[in-house]
Amino acid sequence: MTGFAELLFSGLMSGLIIGLAGLAVTLVFGIARFSNAATGDTMTLGAYGALVGSAFTGSVILGSLIGLAAGALASVVSYLLVFRPLQGRSPISSLLASIGLAFFIRAIIGLVFGHDQNVFQLDIVRPIKFAGIRIQPNDLKFAAVAISTLAVVFIILHLTPIGRRMRAVADNPLLAKVSGISPRPVMLALWSIAGAVSAIAGIILGMKTVVSPESGWEMLLPAFAAAVLGGIGHPIGAIVGGLLIGVAQELATPFVGFTYKIAVSFIVLLLVLLIRPKGLFGRSEGVR
Amino acid sequence: MEAYLIAIGIFAGIYLLLALGLNLQFGMTGLINFGHVGFFCIGAYTSALLATNGVPVALSLAAGGFAAMLAAWPLGVVSIRLREDYFAIASLGFSEIVRLVVTSEGWLTKGVQGIPGIPRIFPGVSSQMQSMLMFGLVMVLCLLAILAMRRIVKSPFGRMIEAIRDNEEAVRSLGKEPAGFKMQVLLLGSLLAGVAGGLYAHYIGYISPDQFIPFITFQIWMAIIMGGVGRISGTVAGVIILMTFLEGSRFLRDVAPFIPEVAMASIRLGVIGLALMLFTIYRPQGLMGDYTKR
Amino acid sequence: MKFNRRQTLAGLTALLGTAAMPRLSFAQDAGVLRIGALNPITGAGAPYGSGMQKMILQAAKLVNDAGGAGGRTLEVFAEDTQTQPQAAVLAAKKLIEVNKVNAILGTWSSGISLAVMPLTNEAGIPLFNTSGAPALSVAPANEKHLGYRFQATNDRFGRAFAKIAEKEGFKRPATMAFNNASGIGNTEGFRKAWEANGGEVVASVVYEPSQPSYRAELQKVLDAKPDVIIMGSYLADTTVILREWYQTGEENKWIIPAWAANPKLAEALGPDVVEGIIAVDSISNEGSPAFAAYDAAYQEALGQPGLSNVYAAMTWDMVIVLALAMEAAGPGADIAAITAKLHEVAGPDGTKVSTFAEGKEALKSGPINYEGASSVLDFDEFGDVTPDFSASVFTGGEAKRNYIVKI
Repeated sequence: MTGFAELLFSGLMSGLIIGLAGLAVTLVFGIARFSNAATGDTMTLGAYGALVGSAFTGSVILGSLIGLAAGALASVVSYLLVFRPLQGRSPISSLLASIGLAFFIRAIIGLVFGHDQNVFQLDIVRPIKFAGIRIQPNDLKFAAVAISTLAVVFIILHLTPIGRRMRAVADNPLLAKVSGISPRPVMLALWSIAGAVSAIAGIILGMKTVVSPESGWEMLLPAFAAAVLGGIGHPIGAIVGGLLIGVAQELATPFVGFTYKIAVSFIVLLLVLLIRPKGLFGRSEGVR
Repeated sequence: MEAYLIAIGIFAGIYLLLALGLNLQFGMTGLINFGHVGFFCIGAYTSALLATNGVPVALSLAAGGFAAMLAAWPLGVVSIRLREDYFAIASLGFSEIVRLVVTSEGWLTKGVQGIPGIPRIFPGVSSQMQSMLMFGLVMVLCLLAILAMRRIVKSPFGRMIEAIRDNEEAVRSLGKEPAGFKMQVLLLGSLLAGVAGGLYAHYIGYISPDQFIPFITFQIWMAIIMGGVGRISGTVAGVIILMTFLEGSRFLRDVAPFIPEVAMASIRLGVIGLALMLFTIYRPQGLMGDYTKR
Repeated sequence: MKFNRRQTLAGLTALLGTAAMPRLSFAQDAGVLRIGALNPITGAGAPYGSGMQKMILQAAKLVNDAGGAGGRTLEVFAEDTQTQPQAAVLAAKKLIEVNKVNAILGTWSSGISLAVMPLTNEAGIPLFNTSGAPALSVAPANEKHLGYRFQATNDRFGRAFAKIAEKEGFKRPATMAFNNASGIGNTEGFRKAWEANGGEVVASVVYEPSQPSYRAELQKVLDAKPDVIIMGSYLADTTVILREWYQTGEENKWIIPAWAANPKLAEALGPDVVEGIIAVDSISNEGSPAFAAYDAAYQEALGQPGLSNVYAAMTWDMVIVLALAMEAAGPGADIAAITAKLHEVAGPDGTKVSTFAEGKEALKSGPINYEGASSVLDFDEFGDVTPDFSASVFTGGEAKRNYIVKI
């Protein structure tokens, strides 16, 4: 039983990372209307930014803030140079360009940092026991960061003027335009938020595992699955979707075989698309 | 030197078969298939397993194509009606599942050990002759595929799928169901990919699951996008660009020896990425593309 | 269509032809022996590949500085396998056909070596690899006996693991393997040897790499209450698994291949986590002059201890063994004659030598036996080496060799 609870907890932790990445995917999808395949590599970039930042400042927290800023900056730059010129074209163009961007970012990271693994120097401690369940203090911190991230995104979207405009564009871009909402600040806000969220996901992933140029790209498919499962364009949905996928992976694989771990997220994805294409929370949008 | 060029030619031909299928799916019908390598994998494994168990190669190649087509059917049933980018993600997931199954089900596929000693297509000839004959076979198959594509483009079916690409709603309002046509296109492209997979397996002689990663799919994508989507000449040009780039980059060091070896691989990846971005932004019709369309 | 097939082909040929031209102009000249360094610069082998390549270049430079071998200097052409068989096949074709290399050195994963070997066989040149798959020893892959393996086979590793587990008095081993040929090869080799001795493996898990967490995998293994976990793994996944294991608070021991349990692992996790881990390695003769020479070169080229990359020690040895065989075969010998000398210079008999210069000198007075940096390097009839294995235990963040196991 405690074994089950521990797996559940560990699944939730993996799920938070997947969910944060899914959140970045879903934000971009909701407003810019395409699946951003560069999300994974923006995560990697954020993690490397945080590594460099930590080395410079000597503090992992300050370093992580620098990584976050790097993710946001890279994201805004990619919008200005790549995705803005593609506005108004079919979402396929942006999707293809984002794959190109993903490769490009990974190549730059490989050139600058090499291919060796890097780790964050965090204290590795024995667990604390809570009701017989072993829990990692670090995991609790990561969870707190992830939940605050979601809260901040939620506050920005719902309680600030720019957030209201972002939601207006997400609901109906044409109507938003005729109502005099200028798309430019909305897009800049969107891309910096998406970049920062990706970076946070990448940094947490890097702290839990190791940082290498390929690490973010590997998370892309689970992230897409989380976004679709939650109902694409729906921020809370993405997190819930990520958590469900994380838990499903941890709990199902002892039975279906660990080598099928990544397959779980695809199966979930296919099932959702088959049964409820708008996802758990999605409003019926043009899915079909 | 000739043998090296012929080897490149054989790989180019295999890529061309893959690209022609993808061009039919994306360029002509608008179907975004990010799982092309999955069908390539199924074709390769089917043909290799049959041939190593004594089935004549001609038969195993055909079976490889057929198996890939058969595998495409359930994917189509589940996801062909979805919006285009959802299908893209679903198909990418499909190809990863194929790779995982091939990796994990060792009783059937020999799993991570891979299948060594896959028989050559032409038994009992010298290795040079083998390469020449292989090159000839690949080229003949490419030619057949190109001719078939041209027929399709000019047929009512071809006009229908182009209509689906340009305006799916209009097609639907005319009382035609796009899903059926898309399914046929998916199956056809997978057939080509399967045959390409068989050729690849018998040429390279050893296959293992890690040869069938999504990156292969994206290389083919780069080829058709740079060459020009929707045009057969564009597909051919794109594959030539791809091969020239992949192999040509090896010679870059002779010209620019100051580039460290370690950086080379990253540069290759970066150039593919940059090309994808620049072409989608500045020249979406590709090198051979038609300016009048899109 | 705007152009036809023939024009296309002509274009392709012309394009690549021009690109290749400069190379062809200085084809065979007598004073140089060309070798190909075919290493995994990118892909799964990337953590080792550049070190392997640099050591080939360094060793070749050393040979050339010592006046060359058999009256010739070495010229190295380097290519990246991208750890992908397809890229490796084309790279090998290029090395063979365009650069006209006389040997290919340093293929890393079994999948790559198996794909490249038919080509080197066709060309009649040797392939020196660092792969573990047993299939590389025998026909069809090694039908021409041109394959030389500088790494212990997976089976030999497995046997060494079993010996060490037995010696340490473990009773309930479990295994965890990275889902590839080498990972599974190691743990299955262990299982074979362990069960042949009447032992039982209490749990085994095969995992996919690049997971955000391996908790479920660990839990399955730990539920069987093992006293030791045998790994078939690489650095990145081992780092994550060990960190998560330590965080569970379990106390079992670990036996891990040294390519994963290396100084970088200790650096990543800190001394507490790696304390007591048994790292198994085919012997890199740390005490030997050959290793000292390699280690110095590695430190200089990469700024890291030579121990952190066991494959680089192997590629270092490859060049030196080849050069010694060239020297033994004498001036103007063709590659077949040179290959025939490989067993002689790296066999059990003869004056023991540790560097190229030393060997070159000693060859004047009789047969030699190169004792390498990666192992003592005595090829058997399959071109395989049977190194001794060392069991090193991490204490205070550093691996200290405890004892040596002969299999």
